[in-house]
Amino acid sequence: MPKTVNVNVHHVTRIEGHGNIVVNAANGKVEKVQWQVPEAPRFFEAMVRGRSYQDIQTVVSRICGICSITHSLTATKAVENAMGIEVSEQTDKVRILMHYSEQLQSHVLHVGYLVAPDLFGFPSVVPLAAKAPDVVKAVIRLHRLANEWSDLLAGRTTHPVTLVPGGLTKVPTAQQLGELRDKLNGCLPDLKAVAEAVLSVAEIIPTFTRETEYVSLRQDNPPAYTFYHGDIASTDCEGTVPVNDWKTVANEYVSDQSTAKWTKWHRDSYAVGALARFNNNGHLLSAPAKYLARMFGLRKGCCNPFMNSIAQLAEAVHVVEVSKILIDELLTKGLKEEKVRVSPKAGKGSGCVEAPRGILFHEYEFDRRGTCVGADICIPTNQNHANIQKDFEKLVPEILSEGEDAVRLKLEMLVRAYDPCVSCSTHMLSVQFVR
Amino acid sequence: MKNPVVVLGLGNPLMADEGIGVHLIERLTKLAAQFPGVDFVDVGTASLSVLHQIEGRRKAIFVDCAFMDEEPGAIRRFTPEDVRSTKVLARQSLHETDLLRILCLAKQLDQAPGEVVIFGIQPERLTPGTDLSAALSDRIDAYLSQILRELRA
Repeated sequence: MPKTVNVNVHHVTRIEGHGNIVVNAANGKVEKVQWQVPEAPRFFEAMVRGRSYQDIQTVVSRICGICSITHSLTATKAVENAMGIEVSEQTDKVRILMHYSEQLQSHVLHVGYLVAPDLFGFPSVVPLAAKAPDVVKAVIRLHRLANEWSDLLAGRTTHPVTLVPGGLTKVPTAQQLGELRDKLNGCLPDLKAVAEAVLSVAEIIPTFTRETEYVSLRQDNPPAYTFYHGDIASTDCEGTVPVNDWKTVANEYVSDQSTAKWTKWHRDSYAVGALARFNNNGHLLSAPAKYLARMFGLRKGCCNPFMNSIAQLAEAVHVVEVSKILIDELLTKGLKEEKVRVSPKAGKGSGCVEAPRGILFHEYEFDRRGTCVGADICIPTNQNHANIQKDFEKLVPEILSEGEDAVRLKLEMLVRAYDPCVSCSTHMLSVQFVR
Repeated sequence: MKNPVVVLGLGNPLMADEGIGVHLIERLTKLAAQFPGVDFVDVGTASLSVLHQIEGRRKAIFVDCAFMDEEPGAIRRFTPEDVRSTKVLARQSLHETDLLRILCLAKQLDQAPGEVVIFGIQPERLTPGTDLSAALSDRIDAYLSQILRELRA
């Protein structure tokens, strides 16, 4: 039946940037489909120029309130890369353990607060909490655990203070790590409850599919499901690209419909995030995480962006499993205070870490005093924008006959599956007094 | 162990006046020894972590940048019941949040403190940069006095 559909989801608030969804279709023919990102340039790169190499990770931790640990870790790795600084095995392990806390936190929040309301048919988590309090409480307990975990290793829940080039300013005690391991053991029933709740409404997850290039880190030696080490891999090629060559992967360009830069590699667009990691490295997940993926029918090669949330659930289980092993390794070896001795030198280097939303690149250049003279940051959200547009272009004609409301909802759900970081830099209140 | 009272500073110090809550919490933390029953927390932009920071407390005091139709630099003390949120959420990502909705969720889950007080400060400038506008930086001591009065009450 011929359909006329006009979707115009504009969210121009006073300062926060949001993506706009525009669809025009007349008589069943699509005339315009756009994912517009009118984001204000953020100037974070300019803000670190002129600062000491010791301060970069503190400044960039404020770029994002959800993945501040990842930004700090990426900056620290880039500084160390630029200056040829090596870190101890203990530092490396504690940092990875710290990073896992952020993966758990972000994934359970994304699935619990943003995706679950769609699947259960509620406009937000607040009414969902009234109807399904047990599930929401399980999400909140997992969130609390992840916060405590970040607190212990990063020095606070968000915007970490223990990371410095060359090491850490504080290491946890054996007792603290033992307690964390006990808590991780205790959280598995909550993870199971959340997974089962999502499974009970899994038929709501759209079955859309579009052949896509997926880009993530890959670690071959030893093989591991990596968030932190390794080189850049793609489902479109066999080999990997060294982190320092990330610009040959991102190929940033300016799109007319966005003030944020877009990226492309082997195709017109690529996707990053949990599904990209799963598609490149899924065979290396821990057994319980693989089991969870199978429960939902998630297999390597999946090109349904809505399944990103399921890959996130599998990763949430995985990071809990591997963190317990990491803690055992740290405890067996014994924790010791390590002095950080670093001298600045001139150099340029990159760092790359998997943020919960996908691969993140930082690059810095320093003069001989260690003052930053150049910076370049490429966030996962920008790497997904072109892919969201391509998904829109394929999805809209397929669902046009379902009508305007369904088109709007599915496109919004698709955006939520990517969880773009487009409104992160400001969070102020906006109020009207009523008494 | 958590103290019965918590003061939380929210905002992004890379976005000028947006970071006023963080600037103030930094100053307040230096006075922490005078307030043994109070925790001071720099929440930054991790607004959802507020849920856990306020849980189990008797009182939570927030310091945040707020559009209130006031002159830039104005400070107002209010409770969540005194206001209604005029913030429009796109609900596209976890990255956008509204403190009032988070407090509403905390209440619904029975995790809200008995008393919640918000100090809102009207911004002048919300552009990238680490410096506060003069309208706010000139009044830092006045803001601190008002928050300290609340703590000593």
